[in-house]
Amino acid sequence: MLNKSPKRLWLFMLLALAGVLALSACGGGGGGEAVKVGAIFDLTGPTSDVGTPYADGVRDYVAWVNENGGIEGRQIELVSADYSYKVDQAEQLYSQYTTQDNVVAFQGWGTGDTEALRGRIAADQIPFMSASYSATLGNPEEAPYNFLVGTTYSDQFIIAIQWAIENSSDGSPVIALLHHDSPFGLSPLEDGRAYAEANGATVIDIAMPGGATDFTAELTQVQDAGAEFIVIQNVSSPAATLVKDVKRLGLDVQVICLNWCTDELFVSLAGDAAEGVIGASPFAFPSSDAPALKDIRAYAESKGKNVDELGVHYVQGWTTMAVMAEGIREVIKNGQEVTGPNIKAALESMSNFDTGGITAPLTFTPTDHAGNKALKLVQVSNGQWVEMTDYIQASK
Amino acid sequence: MESGIFHTTYESDMALRRTPLMRLRLILVIAAALIFPFLANGYQLTLANQIGITAIGAIGLNILTGFTGQISLGQGAFMAVGAYSSGLLAARLGMPWWLTLPFSCIITAVVGAIFGIPSLRLKGLYLAIATLAAQQIIEWLITHWTVLTGGVEALVVPTPTLFGIRMNDDFNFYWIMLLLLSATTLFAVNLFRTKIGRAFIAIRDQDIAAEVMGVNTFQYKLLAFATSSFFVGLSGALVAQYRNIVNYERFTIETSILYLAVIIIGGLGSVSGSIYGSVFMVLLPAILTNLGRALGGVIPGMSRLIPFIQQGVFGITIILFLIFEPEGLAKIWRDIKDYFRLWPFSY
Repeated sequence: MLNKSPKRLWLFMLLALAGVLALSACGGGGGGEAVKVGAIFDLTGPTSDVGTPYADGVRDYVAWVNENGGIEGRQIELVSADYSYKVDQAEQLYSQYTTQDNVVAFQGWGTGDTEALRGRIAADQIPFMSASYSATLGNPEEAPYNFLVGTTYSDQFIIAIQWAIENSSDGSPVIALLHHDSPFGLSPLEDGRAYAEANGATVIDIAMPGGATDFTAELTQVQDAGAEFIVIQNVSSPAATLVKDVKRLGLDVQVICLNWCTDELFVSLAGDAAEGVIGASPFAFPSSDAPALKDIRAYAESKGKNVDELGVHYVQGWTTMAVMAEGIREVIKNGQEVTGPNIKAALESMSNFDTGGITAPLTFTPTDHAGNKALKLVQVSNGQWVEMTDYIQASK
Repeated sequence: MESGIFHTTYESDMALRRTPLMRLRLILVIAAALIFPFLANGYQLTLANQIGITAIGAIGLNILTGFTGQISLGQGAFMAVGAYSSGLLAARLGMPWWLTLPFSCIITAVVGAIFGIPSLRLKGLYLAIATLAAQQIIEWLITHWTVLTGGVEALVVPTPTLFGIRMNDDFNFYWIMLLLLSATTLFAVNLFRTKIGRAFIAIRDQDIAAEVMGVNTFQYKLLAFATSSFFVGLSGALVAQYRNIVNYERFTIETSILYLAVIIIGGLGSVSGSIYGSVFMVLLPAILTNLGRALGGVIPGMSRLIPFIQQGVFGITIILFLIFEPEGLAKIWRDIKDYFRLWPFSY
């Protein structure tokens, strides 16, 4: 009876391990013909407000393709889970999906997981798309397997600066970048500043402290610098607080949101203060007349959902997955085996790919994975984001 | 039939493995650890490596918080110091990865000792706030000292290789992790049989009494901070080498709190508890995710709710643990052993 005790914990651990093994094993299987794609979503974490519609978009695109005969007759099997924006969990899921499920491509989400997995996906040769649009991810020398469907934060900022210069009083405006104090927030600063300096404008950068409920101090800095324009690189909720303060203080500035505060949530949070705010959105809003929205709308309605309520992030998720699927389609069409390197090559041969008007035409090359160089500016009018310009190309 | 373990000599009382059974168990554990990587796939190895890295950091924190009684909310920042030291030495100075490990441990130990200075005057919650300041200061330095750290941009670490073999794939890294975890465990277990370790425990139990007995409290508190940070730095350096990339977002206050949870669940003041806690905290979300995945197919309409149920279950499990066994997994394990040792006539 003495021997029983040391084995007890091991028995428990073995059972737990067996549980993990058994469960992960039954997740696999199925027809060998399906193309497996891994995905991680933030459904419960700090960015779940925008992560949930994005995840719905990715999943619904896959369901829609599968219902319509799949990609060249092959189904997509999406293996996905919530990771609560925790990097360790993202790594676990990535490792599980690549080694147990043998996925050939991966859909990520935020800056944290995209950066953490950058090295691994290159070593494992897994094409990767996410909703993080840092310019470094578009450089294949640094991140050979990352592909960007959205306009990079740098290009978004440059487009905003271009517009600001054209619409300023004297052609040499001061532009304040108010940003989230993080890699995400600072990502557009350097490229934007270089562009502004070369074109006679000035960029000042002010960090928005996390969790702040009042931006009077930051806006005083904006006023002292004589800035005519404020560009916000932050998510909707702090951005909405900021524009409310702009209105309260009666500042005479034009606010331009980059893509993470150009959404329906921003308008509903900011209310009246959102009127007239300009947004740089790489993706068309559900209210626009982009042809691809017809399919998206029809599918969502058949499932009892309303695209207008799901919003721009749903369209964003759907389109990101659609671009990845297009790469897979090319590979199958060419009769090649569906592998990471083949999908990468197929994506890199994509030239002026039409996403049905959701984004500007996409072009990936072996030396440039930032496929989207242009976007339309939108403006809030009567509580709706309305297209205000045609595609504006980011000049270098 | 025995009624307990009774020692007749001081040698047997002081021994680390006091009974033949304990020695047998150690051999079994070592054998299992050596065989495991040959049976496991990449996913299980990833989990094992995460557990190992977490365990090294948790042992470090337990030396400070569990054994010396100095609560620390700066764990994440100290890990960041280790990770950035290792990453920068390798990336900027071209130092081989294995040489960066001792350097980053020492750098972190020095930084830890510096931020331990307030512990002379501060205790309990006040010290917690002082270490929280350390967390914020180090985080701020990393994100704003752009020339050194590259600021908020991720720092890419060269792939660690040994004789041309890539060392940070899951299988090879397992051996590095296992070696360092064993060394850390061995050191920590033995530390508390020495004068220094005893002094740490005396400070935890009653610092005034310890001082009266001749323990230089300040000196030993700083030593505890340095020793603890040494291992925390090692854990951070391993993260950097394993993942090839260092980003400060990995080492925020959330990490500090997670590690406190690991040692509380595992058992404060227990080296093996730190390991049990790490196993528990890494495997629980993995098990829940896989359970969710299995159930998602079985019960239609459930799949949308599963992520939320997972979060809830994670929280509830931790709360239940704290209610029913505040001394952690190490105590549960001890109770199980005692139960069987004295079975069927426990008293």
